[in-house]
Amino acid sequence: MPNLAVELNRLHLANPILVASGTFGYAREMAAFVPFSKLGGIVPKTITAEPRRGNPPPRTVETASGLLNSIGLDNDGLETFLAKHLEYLVGLGTKVIANIAGHDREEFLQMSGRLGGIEGLSGIELNISCPNVSGGVDFGVDPARTEAIVRGVREVCGLPIVAKLTPNVTDIVAIAQAAQSGGADAVTLTNTFQGMAIDWKHRKPILGNVIGGLSGPAIKPIVLRMVYQVARRVPGLPIIAVGGIGSLNDVMEFLVAGASAVQIGTANFYNPTLAGKLVDELDAALASEGLASVREIVGTLKTP
Amino acid sequence: MSTLTLPPLPGLVPCARQLVVPIVEQTRLARDTYRLRLASPELANAVVPGQFFMVRPPGQTDPLLGRPFALYDVWLDASGEPGGIDLVYLVVGKMTGVMRTWQAGESVEIWGPLGNGFPLLTCDKLLIVAGGIGNTPFPAVLREALGLHRYGTEAGLDHGPRHVARPLAPADITLCYGVRSAEFLAGVDHFESLGIDLKLATDDGSRGHKGFVTQPAEEWLKTHTATPAAGRTGPKLAVYCCGPEPMMHAVARLAAKYQAPCWLSLESPMACGFGACFSCVTKVKQPDGDWDYRRTCVEGPIFPAEVLDL
Ligand SMILES: Cc1cc2nc3c(=O)[nH]c(=O)nc-3n(C[C@H](O)[C@H](O)[C@H](O)COP(=O)(O)OP(=O)(O)OC[C@H]3O[C@@H](n4cnc5c(N)ncnc54)[C@H](O)[C@@H]3O)c2cc1C
Ligand SMILES: Cc1cc2nc3c(=O)[nH]c(=O)nc-3n(C[C@H](O)[C@H](O)[C@H](O)COP(=O)(O)O)c2cc1C
Ligand code: FES
Repeated sequence: MPNLAVELNRLHLANPILVASGTFGYAREMAAFVPFSKLGGIVPKTITAEPRRGNPPPRTVETASGLLNSIGLDNDGLETFLAKHLEYLVGLGTKVIANIAGHDREEFLQMSGRLGGIEGLSGIELNISCPNVSGGVDFGVDPARTEAIVRGVREVCGLPIVAKLTPNVTDIVAIAQAAQSGGADAVTLTNTFQGMAIDWKHRKPILGNVIGGLSGPAIKPIVLRMVYQVARRVPGLPIIAVGGIGSLNDVMEFLVAGASAVQIGTANFYNPTLAGKLVDELDAALASEGLASVREIVGTLKTP
Repeated sequence: MSTLTLPPLPGLVPCARQLVVPIVEQTRLARDTYRLRLASPELANAVVPGQFFMVRPPGQTDPLLGRPFALYDVWLDASGEPGGIDLVYLVVGKMTGVMRTWQAGESVEIWGPLGNGFPLLTCDKLLIVAGGIGNTPFPAVLREALGLHRYGTEAGLDHGPRHVARPLAPADITLCYGVRSAEFLAGVDHFESLGIDLKLATDDGSRGHKGFVTQPAEEWLKTHTATPAAGRTGPKLAVYCCGPEPMMHAVARLAAKYQAPCWLSLESPMACGFGACFSCVTKVKQPDGDWDYRRTCVEGPIFPAEVLDL
């Protein structure tokens, strides 16, 4: 049996298969489909300090091998999350990494301070990359802001910290370096790509919010490229890859490119039992490659 | 650790499952309208009227997401046991265009049953208003209301086997079914064979009443809510409706006007069908008088009309 455990600095996981924020609800919704204790970890839907209704529908539209969404961080706020979902989540026998989004640095610090004191959480993922919140500053496009937020969170919260980055930047490496300087244990690469869909006959955007974020198989090659670049150019910064993963081959490609762990996102919607099955498939694939541990395959890409 | 006693989230279906099931046959029912017959005793035993399934071709990424389709009905095999489910779809876009090409013997990926289903029937007189492809949830509703089939018999279901204590007589059920034009009418022979009171309407007058289906619906409401004779109570009514949004809104307004309890089956676009993506939201009134976006796939697709912020 290959060893599936991975260590992303202070974040230790039983295996590298996680599920991505916003694509797994609060886990309850997936109970009929996924044996949770098999997973390396669960990242519930983004929490904001205050309740948010989210964007008007239509909130999603399918595009060629992809999904555009403009959910807009629809959630009941931090305190309701703690009262309603936390106890269920931390009882599932897997690691729970809370994902938060703040309006400004102060709010990120307040929320992470509060979550740092909560028993049962294994880490915190900072959503500095949501493309769907109008008016909010997109911290993740600015290295200085990224570093300042991560550093501040590290000071007020003892949990392992993962910075989830936006791909909507010119140089993903610079942002990843900033997250590392700020003290991030790992980066999640990536959130969705800004996009849109148009109903030309009615001269109207299809999404209620006009612009949305693209996910699914369509984005995989771009995220793969980003994972590869960050893995090569930012040594010592573990990567959690997320973008279009829909099969074990996709998982293996990301590991070879340099990711230490992966998250399953959109695929949870169209193949809800996938995440649970991938752990066994990974185990079998490593065994058939004659590898003793998943760590042996991370970053093994041979380039000319 | 304290034990929180929170009500379970409404509409999560513990017996939902993801399967790859074979197609038994495809039958054309009307213009651009097909019945897809799938073999799966498991799904047939688990589902209740008004629930839906998500369907997609296995192993492909374009189309990518599943699409929601209501239970049309459970079909019985030669020995009279549930053999699987029928879905009926209208070709409107990418996925339904692909579905039309599916052949018997091929397999489809399906997950469900999903959603809350129609409430268990307790009325004396039932009015069903169906617009276009919105007729699809009603064959199963009718079969249950008439006491002809028991749904949700699978052991261990949260909703338990459904049992309609007092089935209705065919004459106590009125189905007002409207379409653009007669060539889109699907399943009319079946509805007629049940002996229910069937009122058809077409926009172009090619069959039945010419005009909106809301007109015969209003006549029904007027008749059945007329003040009962002295010393008698009026019948207990229920209105079920599924169809295009403007039609459902009109029916909800009529039901409110005549003070008849009304349920709408919403057709919000969905990406997952089981509550994970928050894309299928609709405005639902809150106890404090405000509204909130709620997920149609788990809290619906069937809502009492009065809770919807239409
Ligand atoms: C609970 C529930 C139950 C349902 N039950 C049934 C049922 O029993 N039978 C049934 O036939 N349907 C049913 N539906 C509706 C069904 O799910 C949709 O018709 C189906 O998803 C269409 O998929 P598609 O890929 O063919 O269409 P899509 O390509 O997804 O298009 C869907 C609609 O959007 C429009 N559209 C798509 N792209 C564009 C664009 N670029 N510009 C403008 N308009 C666009 C299309 O014209 C079409 O009307 C149900 C829906 C729900 C929520
Ligand atoms: C409907 C939807 C909602 C999402 N919501 C969130 C969210 O709340 N927070 C977040 O950090 N990422 C969110 N994401 C982004 C995903 O977590 C993931 O980063 C992205 O979809 C790319 O992975 P994928 O292609 O595997 O889906 C969402 C994605 C989708 C499709
Ligand atoms: S369709 Fe995904 S939450 Fe309803």
